[in-house]
Amino acid sequence: MPQDPTDAELVAAYKAGDPEALGALMERHKAAVYGYLLRLTGRPDAADDIFEEVFIKLVKNPGAYGERERFSAWLFTVARNAAMDYFRRGSSRGEVPLEGDGEKPGPGDFAVSPEPGPEEVLANKELGERIGAALDSLSADQREVFYLRHYSGLSFREIAGILGVPIGTVLARMSRTAARLRDILGAGVQ
Amino acid sequence: MNCGYGEKLILYFYGEAAEAGEFLKNNGEAGAALRAEVESHLAACADCRAELETLERVGAWLSERPGGPSRAAEAAVMAAARAQASHRRGFAFSWREALLSGALAAVMAGVFAVSGGSASADLAWNSGLDSKLDSVEYSVYQAQAEMSSASGDWEYSYSALEDEGLRAGKNIETYKEAVI
Repeated sequence: MPQDPTDAELVAAYKAGDPEALGALMERHKAAVYGYLLRLTGRPDAADDIFEEVFIKLVKNPGAYGERERFSAWLFTVARNAAMDYFRRGSSRGEVPLEGDGEKPGPGDFAVSPEPGPEEVLANKELGERIGAALDSLSADQREVFYLRHYSGLSFREIAGILGVPIGTVLARMSRTAARLRDILGAGVQ
Repeated sequence: MNCGYGEKLILYFYGEAAEAGEFLKNNGEAGAALRAEVESHLAACADCRAELETLERVGAWLSERPGGPSRAAEAAVMAAARAQASHRRGFAFSWREALLSGALAAVMAGVFAVSGGSASADLAWNSGLDSKLDSVEYSVYQAQAEMSSASGDWEYSYSALEDEGLRAGKNIETYKEAVI
């Protein structure tokens, strides 16, 4: 059975002139990158714009990925930098609440649950609101580390490389994140 | 709660206990040792168990919301990728053409250099090129001679006309004098 091409092989195929290789790369990583950007910005439109910006950078300059590191580490570095640029450009974070503002849906409203009953829908909504609020209560540093680890699946060492901090700092932030989430959500989240 | 297991708990939960040997240098703990230690601690510490359960539940909640970029964003990326790939292919083709032309020129120059003087002279001799060139040269001389002769004829005729004109002019003068 033929193995799926690696990320590096897809980048090489795109460099050689195959645009569909880039499509395969985007398909492979889009949920993680978009999810990360959506959580960071709290805005679907901003996440969409930054997502496009990140992949257009790859389209225009695939050589920027030097193959010295894992492709996903490179991709999340670019995504994180693009998100930081977005914040620097003065766009305020969290204008759209994670659970929506009652009229337009927020990221937390895209729950996937097979045909839940009314009580389950209500319970899920309440749980979602509590988790969303707990995540919002994290500091920017804690949130960044937590989302990077969840969406990218990169090791803490790789995350430390992306953020330019020692691995001990990353682990300390994660530890404080876990403690805060437990304090806010407590046993009710089980 | 401050049981001192914060970072160890994180390494254990995310399956990176092997990192501990390097990270927790002072403790000198290897991955397996750290796992065993954390598991032993978890059996006795309700706060740490709650912390890991919370991390698990929040992680699952996030994973249940897959989401994704808009189709427009994906289409824009793919359109750019196709345009870029097409541009690259075009550029590569012109380079191929240029290289092919250069190679052809080099081959022709090589052929001339190798086959050089005597071979081309033999070729010209055998083809009768010399005799053909001689007849062309002769034809050119002949044409020149004919043109020169025609030019002489024309000059002669012109002079004859001039003489005729002079004679006619003199006759008119003589007529005028006779009448006046």
